[in-house]
Amino acid sequence: MFWIFLIILAAIAVFAVSIYNRIQVLENRYQNAWSQIDVQLKRRNDLVPNLVETVKGYASHEKEVFAKVAESRERMMQAGSVAESAEAANVMTAALRSVFAIAENYPELKANENFRVLQEELSSIENKIAYSRQFFNDSVLQYNNAIETLPGVLLAGPMGKEEQIFLEVPETEKQAPQVSFS
Amino acid sequence: MKTETSGLPNVITDYATGQKINLLDWKAANLRYSWLLAFFVTLLLAAIGYLLALAIDPGAALFFIIIAVAIAGVQNTIAYWFSDQFALRAARARAANTEEHRYLVNVTEAVAIGAGVPAPKIYVIDSPAPNAFATGRNPQNSAIAVSTGLMELLDRQELEGVVAHEMSHIKNYDILFMSLLAATIGAILLLRDLLLRSTRYGYGRRGHRRGGDSKGGGQGQAIAMVLLIVLLVFAPILATLLRLAVSRRREFLADATGAYITRNPEGLARALEKLKNYQGEKLQVSEGVQHMFFTNPVKGLNASNLLATHPPLEERINRLRRM
Repeated sequence: MFWIFLIILAAIAVFAVSIYNRIQVLENRYQNAWSQIDVQLKRRNDLVPNLVETVKGYASHEKEVFAKVAESRERMMQAGSVAESAEAANVMTAALRSVFAIAENYPELKANENFRVLQEELSSIENKIAYSRQFFNDSVLQYNNAIETLPGVLLAGPMGKEEQIFLEVPETEKQAPQVSFS
Repeated sequence: MKTETSGLPNVITDYATGQKINLLDWKAANLRYSWLLAFFVTLLLAAIGYLLALAIDPGAALFFIIIAVAIAGVQNTIAYWFSDQFALRAARARAANTEEHRYLVNVTEAVAIGAGVPAPKIYVIDSPAPNAFATGRNPQNSAIAVSTGLMELLDRQELEGVVAHEMSHIKNYDILFMSLLAATIGAILLLRDLLLRSTRYGYGRRGHRRGGDSKGGGQGQAIAMVLLIVLLVFAPILATLLRLAVSRRREFLADATGAYITRNPEGLARALEKLKNYQGEKLQVSEGVQHMFFTNPVKGLNASNLLATHPPLEERINRLRRM
């Protein structure tokens, strides 16, 4: 009788450990997914001054747009939480779009080799951000499912795990196509 | 310790067929098939060694078998570590240059992020024929090669679709099995050609000696020789059937996973449509590696052909459009 009790106890322990590990793995995964986004956001922030300089050379009077970019870059650098960074990143995306929109009016700028490289780099960073956001949301979904359904839900409380929020896709990006560079 | 490189859900739904595809099962099946294949090759080479011993010197059968098994071991080891190099060389691919192929590098890196795998090494094939393939042994050691023709033919979304399809092959270890298979078929074809040539040469010599006295046991030797030739002729056919059994289904699975990674089945469908309508020249590749490519590179091979390694393009397009 004692042995049966012990075996059941051991089985429960093994089961609990495997759930614990599963939750931990999924948590690491979504956190890692976030750092992927972060890398892309930082790279983009580094490229922005370069872009602004190049565009200024041809369209120095478009002050409004430059101010918007500078402001969103500042906001980007001060953002602390995931939600803040994500929000600031969306503002930045919109600001960069207006830069590329005004570039349409300056054929010489569009022909500039430096500008072309920057445009390709920035639009593909945007593409990568979109992919890493999708990957992040996939990971968060798995994590949330794990901690909110049986048997994970039994351990999530004691482990102090909470539901994570998804990153929202900004309205402007929902019309799928990425900027294509020809 | 379980290491998970993937952040994609393990189960995705193929909307076209309503089938649930468990990506972990798929990967496990590939690993299992790879072991089976390595075992099959070892067995085959041991049989060849034994028959060769019977034909030449029955006393040394054990010696021949040991040599054959050693060759099989070396062959499998080389296939595991270096088949990507062989495949890339066979396709005359060169490493992509970030400056020159910025666009391809960016697309591939983005798709790798979406698939949750480390970015593979990127290669370019200088050929107007649009095609692509993936190779390697695992996601950490993998490569994708894309022809310049494909880059010119497709727009960004379409190229993403094709790259995502190749990325699925990497993520699910199709590349490992395909690499071993390519090496196996290559080795068997080589052995067959070598033996057929040497027997022709051997018979010629025997013709000269016809006047001399023949040794005993000649009949047994002849039977062993015939068996050997039969085996070597049938082995490639067997290997081809094996390839058929696995590679057509694999293409559908990779299409479904690729569409899932990009969340854009239409991109891949349009890419396939463009390839279907493509009339220009095809890639010149050897028989051993054709199953690795995105579309079948062999000239004049009808898609409905029984021995096609790839399903018909229309079927693939239809399935994607129904997603």
